[in-house]
Amino acid sequence: MLQYSRLILMLKCPESLVSAHHNYLVNQMLTPGFLLGDPDSREGFYFLADVVPVGQSEPRVYARLYDAQGAFVLEIEPKEIVENPLGCVHQSFPGGYRIAFPSGESLLSVQTESFANGFLTRMQGKLYDQEGKLRIEPSYDAIQIHGEVGLWLKEPFRKR
Amino acid sequence: MKTKQNRDWEGVWVFGDYRNYFQNRVTLQLIAKGNQLARNLGVDLTVLVLGSQIHQYAMEYTAHGADVVMVVDHPNLKNYQVETYVRVVSKLVESFRPEIFLAGATAFGREFFPRLAKRLNTGLSADCVSLEIEAERRLLIQTTPAFGGELLADIITPEYRPQMATVHPDVFEERIHDHEATARILYPEVEIEAEERVQLIRSKPDQSRKGGLEEAEIVVVGGKGLGSKENFQMLFELARLLGGDVGATRPVILSGWTEESRLLGQTGKSVKPKLLITAGTSGAVQYTTGIQGAETIIAINRDPHAPIFKMADLGLVGDVKTVLSLLLENLKKRL
Repeated sequence: MLQYSRLILMLKCPESLVSAHHNYLVNQMLTPGFLLGDPDSREGFYFLADVVPVGQSEPRVYARLYDAQGAFVLEIEPKEIVENPLGCVHQSFPGGYRIAFPSGESLLSVQTESFANGFLTRMQGKLYDQEGKLRIEPSYDAIQIHGEVGLWLKEPFRKR
Repeated sequence: MKTKQNRDWEGVWVFGDYRNYFQNRVTLQLIAKGNQLARNLGVDLTVLVLGSQIHQYAMEYTAHGADVVMVVDHPNLKNYQVETYVRVVSKLVESFRPEIFLAGATAFGREFFPRLAKRLNTGLSADCVSLEIEAERRLLIQTTPAFGGELLADIITPEYRPQMATVHPDVFEERIHDHEATARILYPEVEIEAEERVQLIRSKPDQSRKGGLEEAEIVVVGGKGLGSKENFQMLFELARLLGGDVGATRPVILSGWTEESRLLGQTGKSVKPKLLITAGTSGAVQYTTGIQGAETIIAINRDPHAPIFKMADLGLVGDVKTVLSLLLENLKKRL
């Protein structure tokens, strides 16, 4: 016997900002940028997916990352690894890049899709803070953030 | 939905119909108009978009003037199923209560919106050519051709909400794409277990439509004034010589002189060619709605008082068959 669609409308309605130019896909939502942790501190976890200005298309990801035991892994800025005690490698590919442990295991991948009039960046990775707490993990084709986001960004956080 | 407290209903919604997106810009045109209506009412313009992996449309609608984009992104919405879409959208309307809800009068909008209006127990004005706000009563004045195009009727919906209308493509101008724009984006959590009565097995684009009438730079249109199917065939020869395509009015289609895919106007296609030659057409609103985007219009009609001459850049008064024959003869000599 055929069944009709069953639909349950939940009252829950997550909300974000969307940019016409470039967005990151996080928690299954579009957002121009977001910040976890404090990027200005000298130590401790942070992850900044900064707003991409009009005229640019490359994602601006800054992060200080740790492993599941809370040991420091690396610090990254767009296009480079600035601190790299474990010897992780940065591999570019069309539309994005991947950062991997020397063993080849992927730490973080960042890929940007071009639309007719805009750009969407998807990231993948299992990222921990200095206490070994899971802060970001893969979810479908993007990432899911654990805990509160420090800041949803509308303007670039780093002006340079 | 009848309501004595229309104040409970607030906001202007546009349905984001992104199918055939780059050919049909009606959603972007409606966003521009909806934004203007929303400003008049002091509310937000929300664009509702359903589907799967539809991020780029949320961004595009933001660039074109949406204050809010409401996204229902679900794998089961990837393929349009009218029953599912009506069920999802009616629930959203009942929850968020917009006072105005607009959609393009595309093949999609013409099927989907009447069913939605019925589900919501409200009125629907189809194929509107103008929308204005009467601010004091927060009424949408929906103007649509009536009585065979002889009249333009202003329709209002004073007691029921939302006030729903479909709008013909190319009636309104879209805004310039603003890369700097941002909007609020909402993701209402809707759970759908789709086991529809109709299952989509596969779909494929109609290859015959590629580079067709809607994209032609020169369009030759015939009306019932051509007198016969044989005379109508002259238009194909003329279009061939000019490198254009052929359109037709509703009476021509009803007479079986050519296929329905060539129908222009309110219930057919809209064209925006550089040159449009319209022969034996009187100029009824239902037809002219589909050609008002043409850059230059040349009209041929034996009646000097035919309304088509009011919108033509160049008018030729004379027997259509005679004028077309002379035109073909001269073109053949030159080409």
